Amino acid sequence: MSKKKVKKLINGKGIRYDGRKLNELRPIKLEVGVLDNADGSAYIEQGKNKILAAVYGPKEVHPKHLAMPDRSLLRCRYHMAPFSVEERKSPAPSRREKELSKVIREAFEPSVFTEYYPRTSIDIVIEVLQADGGTRCAGITAASLALADAGIPMRDLVSACAAGKVEGHLVLDVADLEDKQGEADVPVAYMPNLNAITLLQMDGMLTSEEFEQAINLAVEGCKQIYQLQKEALKAKYVEVKEAKKEDAEQ
Amino acid sequence: MSSSKQKSGQFVVPGDRLGVIEEFVPGPGTYEENGTIYSFATGRALVDMLSKQVSVFPKTRFLPVPKVGSIVTGQVREVQSKTANLRIFQVDKHPISGSFTGVLHVSDVSFHYVEIMHDACKPGDIVRAKVVSDKNRTFHLSIKEPDLGALHAFCSRCGNVLTSRGAQMRCLKCGKIERRKVAQDYGKGGIV
Repeated sequence: MSKKKVKKLINGKGIRYDGRKLNELRPIKLEVGVLDNADGSAYIEQGKNKILAAVYGPKEVHPKHLAMPDRSLLRCRYHMAPFSVEERKSPAPSRREKELSKVIREAFEPSVFTEYYPRTSIDIVIEVLQADGGTRCAGITAASLALADAGIPMRDLVSACAAGKVEGHLVLDVADLEDKQGEADVPVAYMPNLNAITLLQMDGMLTSEEFEQAINLAVEGCKQIYQLQKEALKAKYVEVKEAKKEDAEQ
Repeated sequence: MSSSKQKSGQFVVPGDRLGVIEEFVPGPGTYEENGTIYSFATGRALVDMLSKQVSVFPKTRFLPVPKVGSIVTGQVREVQSKTANLRIFQVDKHPISGSFTGVLHVSDVSFHYVEIMHDACKPGDIVRAKVVSDKNRTFHLSIKEPDLGALHAFCSRCGNVLTSRGAQMRCLKCGKIERRKVAQDYGKGGIV
């Protein structure tokens, strides 16, 4: 989060202020199973975003009246740490965080097989440690891995990415500065194998053609992120086995 | 994506295509949607060419949730004259994250007539039980069978572990004699 005033976000050659091309993602680092006490967890760094996601469950529902006889209750809490932004944010859940918790939960509802665990709850916790735009998408990407790590049955992994319009150009993976100074932001969550969009929002103004292009751009970004998610799961679950094999041989 | 690319032993994540229903039967760890078989687990795909079944063996943790018929272990929380509440912490030998609550009724304690719940268990006891019903948002438990019942019981006067002598339970520290419904392997080894 540089305090320098950037005059132009995109130069004449189509290079953005942070050196990316228009359709390029920020560098992403994904790690699965970073927390011992949660049933499943994941960590994502996307550009300057740093987000932890944890999953608990299936477990008994409290308060009990929320339990459903035919399926599991999916709950989500998206929260930003007080130190995640430039000026200290109150730790109390803001209106924005409550709404994001709801839309993130709804982004996972088509994916999770809640009907396999009736009378239980599956709780997703997303904690933003450092925010730099696109935290809801990065949070969904991490939470999806945390759900897989917890062994929760899912129809598909959910990948999320935003597209936007900055200085008249459609761009992929909108960063904080571009979001604030740009014209529009379209976050998309997507299930790559089922080719289904589970979250679609828009902030700003786009023509219907631009909107369609933005969705397609974001879906392409989701597909790239999906490959990284797969690799992150593989890195945890395949190398553990190989390491065990090596131990046995010694 | 061609389904034949999925070989046995391949690492799959939720949503990976494993084949179509024309060639395989969807097995454990998989689901079928619009004629295509997908994985719902993270693990290794197993393709059985003899039974034409494709399944996924998960590499993630087992998800222990009580179901009708499962054997659970829990601690007795609260005992009333006709019922006792159990805090279940183990399902089919798998420890669970958090806990589930189960209810034991006097009629499910023994094949014999038991007048009052206090003759079968007391708060603090570690009990192995079977889930007989999950109606009315509650897990109803039974300790009727010989291998079900208390695994560890504590003296209600001094808190010492009770020693089983047939139907009687005796505290070796203070000499108090109590009654319990014990499992066959009472006092033999761990909580499992």
